[in-house]
Amino acid sequence: MAQGSAVQPQKGTESGAPPLHVDTTAKWFLLSSISYFFIVGIIALTIAAKFVWPELLGTVPYFSYGRLRPLHVNGMLFGWLLACDMGISYYIVPRLCGVKLWSEKLGVATAVLWNIIILGAVVALMGGYNHGFEYAELPTPLEILVVVAWVMYGVNIFGTIATRKYTQMYVSIWYIMGTVLWTTFVYPTGNFAVDFTTGVNQANLNWMFVHNAVGLIFTPIGLGIAYYFIPKSSNTPLFSHRLSMIGFWSLAFVYVWTGAHHMIHGPISQWLQTIAITFSVMLLIPVWAVVYNFFATMKGQWHQLRENVPLKFLMSGTVFYLLTCFQGPMHSLRSVNAIVSKTDWIPGHAHMALLGCFSFFAIAATYYIVPRMWNTRLHSDALANWSFWCMILGGLGFFTTLWLGGFWQGWQWNNPAIPFIDTVKALKPVWLVRFFSGTLIFSGIVMFAYNVMATVIGRREYAQ
Amino acid sequence: MLSKADRSAAFAVAAALGLFFIGGLLTTVVPPLVDKSWSRPAPGLRPYTEQELHGRAIYVREGCWYCHTQQTRTLVSDTKRSGWRGVDSPISTPDEFVYDSPHMFGTKRTGPDLSRVGGKYDTQWHRTHFRNPRDLVPGSVMPPFPWIVNDEKEFQALVAYIQRLGRAKDWRPDKDYEK
Ligand code: HEC
Ligand code: HEM
Repeated sequence: MAQGSAVQPQKGTESGAPPLHVDTTAKWFLLSSISYFFIVGIIALTIAAKFVWPELLGTVPYFSYGRLRPLHVNGMLFGWLLACDMGISYYIVPRLCGVKLWSEKLGVATAVLWNIIILGAVVALMGGYNHGFEYAELPTPLEILVVVAWVMYGVNIFGTIATRKYTQMYVSIWYIMGTVLWTTFVYPTGNFAVDFTTGVNQANLNWMFVHNAVGLIFTPIGLGIAYYFIPKSSNTPLFSHRLSMIGFWSLAFVYVWTGAHHMIHGPISQWLQTIAITFSVMLLIPVWAVVYNFFATMKGQWHQLRENVPLKFLMSGTVFYLLTCFQGPMHSLRSVNAIVSKTDWIPGHAHMALLGCFSFFAIAATYYIVPRMWNTRLHSDALANWSFWCMILGGLGFFTTLWLGGFWQGWQWNNPAIPFIDTVKALKPVWLVRFFSGTLIFSGIVMFAYNVMATVIGRREYAQ
Repeated sequence: MLSKADRSAAFAVAAALGLFFIGGLLTTVVPPLVDKSWSRPAPGLRPYTEQELHGRAIYVREGCWYCHTQQTRTLVSDTKRSGWRGVDSPISTPDEFVYDSPHMFGTKRTGPDLSRVGGKYDTQWHRTHFRNPRDLVPGSVMPPFPWIVNDEKEFQALVAYIQRLGRAKDWRPDKDYEK
């Protein structure tokens, strides 16, 4: 559809003219997030290893499972993924608006504050200062700093949009605006409002946050990125503007209702469970609208996948998105939920979303923009390709074994004649495979991080 | 209608927040107003003692809740697994948790559910178990917690907390700790 073509990202807004964008903020965010990806990857392997060798580092409180797991989750979510996504949005929003970032100074200050928060989180979580809520484990002072940083980010993004040259706003801009706005309400619900409630009421707020941390923070910003880079890196216009509108506005309406599906069969009102289930199934609408749009954009362009590493990450991320968001509605159904809930299936599902889909989008965008921001060429395309294959094979090994294992585990739990410990022993091979798949994913992370750092350090050489 | 959001940022902002708030308010603010059982304590429920609260804080600090849930769900297998000596445990109800903050319902069962574990094992069992779970349950993947056992005050507090779990409902057929 021609509508909106003025802002179609493939229309190289960055060519020719003297460099409009300095990208200092984007660079800071990207480089720090990639460092955390590597560091937290080591933590990830450590906790995966603890499932196989439970006594590993067992006598040191700071390295015990219960302290490293929140470090892994928060480190990956906020240190790596969100920071990388923010960096990427500091790159694309100014380009889609045809103006400079509203304030680079404010942006750099945000990046510095963000790093202070992450380093504070490492110390706090290892020290056992855990707030006690999933995905919201940071102690309150750090949570307040997150809000401050988020406001600084929001001011910069909205400042840029307010001063834009192109009236028409491309889809990515809506998604990024949505992320800024929704997070402003979702984050305080999960981090502050919970402290004024107890019991089931508190759990309901907590799960509204947990679910929407993924659904209204990582999903919209991730999709905004994919909407920009799929057309851009394949040099093909987006298939349908109307479909992207359907996807966006149905997401805005449907997602927030589903929090209680984390407590199906649990001690929370049945009618609330039913509402959550109904809306979880409705989530298929925004997902299919988006995925169809991406696939249709690629029509006739699939051959590009052979050479184009960012596109490989983007399209396999899209497939993982489709799969995750098929699983989600399915395991919100009471019958399926009775089997998979609380099992190892759930981390299989969570990693497909956050690693397989949204981290893949972020990696694709990073590979695409790093050479452009530093005005050079990627250190090694072959290494980038290797990083893709390590991550996708490791990822597939990780997800599929956890689904199979988790399903089997749930099946066993439903037979009370089987002692619990036997269901633990049964999962040991699964956890071993998870550890080795994790090692493969981690090698991919190392290649990715090395490639980016080498590009930046050797930029003058490669530019020739 | 929503195509106006293409050009007007103000309109896009208003629409994005409007749609979000319908579901947001109806699923967070309204339910506790409608369902009073969320805030009314169960008849047998008493507030935590100082020591139990200390134990609970240790449970939060050490991340026990990443491996243990505290909810007997409305599934037959849950009531059997939380049960004791052939008697099924009652399912968990909201009124049993009104003094809980942070709530410890949990999302993952790497270890068994603990919603009815109070009174199941005696202090000595817990001491050995926390020192090294595999000494009592071969094949366990629960981490050892020697630093808790070595601090008598912390250990007693944690055990006090565990022993009161699920006791608001009077359902156990026998004396505590009997095998
Ligand atoms: C890595 C996951 C993990 C962590 C963390 C963990 N546990 Fe466990 N826990 C298990 C497993 C697995 C079992 C079952 C085997 C066993 O009894 O050791 C278990 C069993 C138990 C049992 C016995 C339950 C029963 O009904 O037999 C208690 C009580 C318990 N854990 C308390 C705790 C406490 C308290 C903490 C925190 C200090 C904790 N656990 C941390 C995995 C974990
Ligand atoms: C090297 C690759 C990785 C390994 C080996 C790994 C391992 C693990 C392990 C062992 C757990 C605990 C699961 C449990 O409780 O049973 C976990 C949880 C989690 N991880 Fe990872 N992880 C990896 C990469 C990532 C990445 C890249 C992200 C996100 C960007 C991520 C996000 C999460 C989240 C959100 C959870 C919590 C899941 C839940 O709520 O159930 N992980 N991971």
